[in-house]
Amino acid sequence: MGDYPDPDEEYELMYSDELDLLRDMDENSDSNPVRKKLLPAKRSLDFSSPIANKIPVVNETCNTNAPSNEHVSISLTPSLTALDDVLSPNVSNKRTVEDLFGDINDIDFDNIQLPSKRQKTEEESDMELIDKIIESRKLRQILAEPTSRGIADSGPDYDINENLTTNVPTWPFMSFTTWNGDRVYVRLECEDLWEKSLDAVTNQLSLKTTYASVWAEARKILETKKQQQETPNDSEEIITNKNVNELWVEKYKPKSYVDLLSDEPVNRTVLHWLHLWDKVVFKKDVKTKEPHQRNAFSKRTGQFQLSNKWKGKKEDEPELDDDGRPHHKVVLLCGPPGVGKTTLAHLLAKLAGYRPVELNASDERSTEAFQTALQSATLMQSVLDRERRPNCLVLDEIDGAPIQTVELLVKWCTTSVKKEEGKKKNKTQPLKRPVIAICNDLYATSLRPLRACALVVAVRGAGAARVCARLRRVARAEGVRVSARALAALGARAGGDVRAALQLLAFLEGRFDGTINIEDVENAAIGTRDNTTSMMQALQAIFTINDNNPNSILKTIQAAGEYDRIIEGIFENYLAARVDSRLLIACETTSWLRLYDAINTWIQRNQNYSMYSFLPLCIARCHGLLASRQTTKVKFPLQAQETSRRRAELESAVCGVRAARADVSRLALRLDLLPLLPYVLSPALRSANVQLCSESERKSLRTCAGAMCDYGLRYTQQRTLEGLYAFVLEPDIYKVAFFGTEERIRPPPAIRQAIAREQQLEVIRRNENMMNRMGNKTQSSEVKQKTDKRAANRDAAQLPNHLQRLQPKVIEKKTTTQVHKDFFGRIVPISQVHKQDAVSDVISSSDVFYQYREGFNNAVRRNVRLRDLL
Amino acid sequence: MSLWVDKHRPRDLMKLDYHKDQALRLKNLVQQSDFPHLLVYGPSGAGKKTRIMCLLRELYGSGAERLRQETMHFTTPSNKKIEIMTVSSNYHIEVNPTDVGIHDRVVIMDLVKNVAQTHQIDSSGQREFKVVILNEVDDLTKDAQHALRRTMEKYVTTCRLILIANSISRVIPAIRSRCLTIRVPAPTETEIASVLHAVCKKEGLSLPSELAMRIAKCADRNLRRALLMCESCKVQQYPFTPDQKVPEPDWQIYIRDTASLALSEQSPKKLGEVRQKLYELIIHGIPPDIIFAGLLKELVRNCDMAMKCQVANHAAQFEHRMRLGNKPIFHLEAFVAKFMAIYKKFVEESLGDAF
Repeated sequence: MGDYPDPDEEYELMYSDELDLLRDMDENSDSNPVRKKLLPAKRSLDFSSPIANKIPVVNETCNTNAPSNEHVSISLTPSLTALDDVLSPNVSNKRTVEDLFGDINDIDFDNIQLPSKRQKTEEESDMELIDKIIESRKLRQILAEPTSRGIADSGPDYDINENLTTNVPTWPFMSFTTWNGDRVYVRLECEDLWEKSLDAVTNQLSLKTTYASVWAEARKILETKKQQQETPNDSEEIITNKNVNELWVEKYKPKSYVDLLSDEPVNRTVLHWLHLWDKVVFKKDVKTKEPHQRNAFSKRTGQFQLSNKWKGKKEDEPELDDDGRPHHKVVLLCGPPGVGKTTLAHLLAKLAGYRPVELNASDERSTEAFQTALQSATLMQSVLDRERRPNCLVLDEIDGAPIQTVELLVKWCTTSVKKEEGKKKNKTQPLKRPVIAICNDLYATSLRPLRACALVVAVRGAGAARVCARLRRVARAEGVRVSARALAALGARAGGDVRAALQLLAFLEGRFDGTINIEDVENAAIGTRDNTTSMMQALQAIFTINDNNPNSILKTIQAAGEYDRIIEGIFENYLAARVDSRLLIACETTSWLRLYDAINTWIQRNQNYSMYSFLPLCIARCHGLLASRQTTKVKFPLQAQETSRRRAELESAVCGVRAARADVSRLALRLDLLPLLPYVLSPALRSANVQLCSESERKSLRTCAGAMCDYGLRYTQQRTLEGLYAFVLEPDIYKVAFFGTEERIRPPPAIRQAIAREQQLEVIRRNENMMNRMGNKTQSSEVKQKTDKRAANRDAAQLPNHLQRLQPKVIEKKTTTQVHKDFFGRIVPISQVHKQDAVSDVISSSDVFYQYREGFNNAVRRNVRLRDLL
Repeated sequence: MSLWVDKHRPRDLMKLDYHKDQALRLKNLVQQSDFPHLLVYGPSGAGKKTRIMCLLRELYGSGAERLRQETMHFTTPSNKKIEIMTVSSNYHIEVNPTDVGIHDRVVIMDLVKNVAQTHQIDSSGQREFKVVILNEVDDLTKDAQHALRRTMEKYVTTCRLILIANSISRVIPAIRSRCLTIRVPAPTETEIASVLHAVCKKEGLSLPSELAMRIAKCADRNLRRALLMCESCKVQQYPFTPDQKVPEPDWQIYIRDTASLALSEQSPKKLGEVRQKLYELIIHGIPPDIIFAGLLKELVRNCDMAMKCQVANHAAQFEHRMRLGNKPIFHLEAFVAKFMAIYKKFVEESLGDAF
């Protein structure tokens, strides 16, 4: 180590405080007995997190501070320290000197504060060489004595102080003022550097180590396990001086892949999906290794196809899209609370080499806030993070987010790179970091857009046995004596909710001081919660016979709530439930449905909920009728919604008609008028040319147009899918009038056009009539006025007040003489202008003019009067 | 007004085609200076509205025929804005309070008070009261009906109400007793046929009397429907032939299809198909009681007398229950299921007897 003393010492001096702090932290986090279970899943471990297994490329500083650190940790918890490094989630502690200082140099070059580039690079290459030597030496050392392995973790080689100072630094920076007025400077980095750092991270992620280290680890783990078995009492006593301040839920949170309680296929799917992002996120160097890895992964998932259905279903879809991103940009974890979704997301993100950034319901989730959060999480990188890992956004509790927010997320997901290539600084850039969304209720309305484009992974609660095992381990670690039966009761009671089970255990432990019997568990009223079952679960339960607990159906129904939905579900599924050739079951079931409807309506009408408790009874009776042993696939009730939607659609058409004819009652319109009106609206014309029609045909056309005017109907031109323009009746009463046979009665397009024209003419005619009527009135009053005026002239303005009329102000036409100018802007005398326009003047002076086009026409000629045209 | 239904609607009480003695009585009623609130009821297409418009004309002269449409806005106590279409002349206002659903009480209170509290300034040569016409009173909520009954008494000097209903069974007795109830029975088939002849004569067409009778039969004693049918017959094929096809409203055909589906086979699968048809009917806004009636009419055709009674009994029960609930599809399907069960049992028994 003496080869390169200067930075070493410097480092020690500079960061001694931090080192101490870190050492303390290590000590605290060491005591996690849950990790003891690590051993059997060795294989999956190295598949999942190459980081955890690699041999650390040790910084030279590590060696110096290693011994002390080792002593401390071992003396505290000898059985556990060895495991710690394998399991500890802080991924890569081996950072080369180059990583540590190289970036500073780069920045310095940018600022041209350092004199020579060349010199520096030489130095760097030297350092690399040294590094390699150290590495190999270290490797040998590890192989020789595996116990010294624990050292590597403790060395903090990337420090906050590198990027955060209170003095004005030499590197580029951005300044902040803290709450007490101190100035803090944060390093600014250029994008190249970021890429570089990413490379560094990916280097660390790759499986470059040999198996030797793994073997060594395994040996060590076995050793510790043996040791532990020998002295079980010791470990318990040691651990009893526990940290009281921490919740058990936090304390025994899974710290590695194998600790996860969720189903293996679920874990694998999510992890696999996260690795699909590798190409985009860690793009540069992994190219050679990445395909191997990916193949391996897909092979594995291939093995798992049987056990996980969703994978098998989407097998034909390409996993990566054109941009090299996964096909599904977002993974949506759903499941009941307490099964470990958030833990899963965080842990897997860490294992895959990301830094999870969480955004949950406590943060503001308006669209603007979400936009900034999304941008900052996916496009930027924290300078305070020790390993410079890329972000992975974890959107917790997304089912509570407003729908606009979810839509924004979906928009982000769907924008592809290609569209964006033209403008680099587009507002919506494509998503380049994985996003994990977590929800409880997959079918929340706000999630509808997201469901379509996300990889939906259902996380189910662990089985009672696994929960029990975990509880036992925790209990042993905490030194609580719990009988096996009590543990089983606890596990069963939790129903997959590990968090609730742990909390109950902690509560009981505090109350009964170390020993818990089955009675305590049974009597603890506090741990039971109202189990909410989803509507679909309840529906499934209604249609299946439950042998274990025949009387539980009522509870299930009550837990699910949403009786209306359940009833609809029963209604839509009961016909297929059982063999019922004489329809007796159908009659009986419907009678209960009817009773339910009557009660429910009564409750709603009177707002009197005293009868509410009878509703689940009606449903439970249906269970008695419909339950069977064969598994029926229960469909989600959608028909009622669909019905009301389509009904509203047709209703709007009827309303459109009523807007024109409010005096006809709705029922008469529905039952009599609209069903028969289409017959009147399709007159049989021999040709679409109205001029060629017979008198009677024209009359019926007139009637048709008149009826359309009366009932506020008109034809509008709309572009069809083929690009042709078609005349569409608006509002479309054909749909209201007919049950799917409307097309046969619709007039052909040509006739529709004729009708449309006639209808427009009819409108004009009616307006004219109206005008005439008004005009007549004013005319007659004018005549009266004239006679009055004569009288008035005689009696010299003796008009009584009520006879005086206000005269409408006559609008005089402005007769400003237009000044004509010629091309050069000179004023042309008027006489000349008149001379020029003399020819056209004849035409333009009259309102109507004809234009004669020369040509040949075979059309039948006939006299046309102007009023025919109007 | 170009449809025959609108064009040939009688404008004068004395020109009505049927129920002439009733018309005479109405005329006498108007000629006395005062008349009470009216409750006009009768089946759809019998001519209630026609009579009322004639009555208004008799009261106020032709000014009552100059109609305009307006949209009025109201605010419910829960601060919801609702709007409703009204048709009014200078002398009357007509409104359909059921358009706004459960908020009809607000409309009735505001509108009637609004009209009733404004007095006519110049009452010479005019009636002292205005008329408010309320449509579909039997569909009003109980709240609205109760709101009506006090206003009716309070503002009797300035405002008369004419209520229109299909049946008075759902009008509360308090209102019934405050009104002069006038029943307008549906025209008989011969009356309809004579009206059709008269209209065709005015249009200059010749209508064979067989066709007129057939149309009258099809129309189910609904004059409006008969006239529309006749006109659509004319559009489809003019020189009328006695055996030409009379277009029927499609929903009637659809209900018939549904019934025959239920008769063709009795099994849960068929019941599922029937349900789809029932849904379709509901989507098209056919009132469920009419579906009930249509189904029953078709279904009992294939039953013997004892079964007829049984089916009709069930239909009545189920329809009553349907009015208590708000999911008509349950009750409709329950009825069909019940019918299928009864019918199947009957068929199996009769088969058993045969062997």
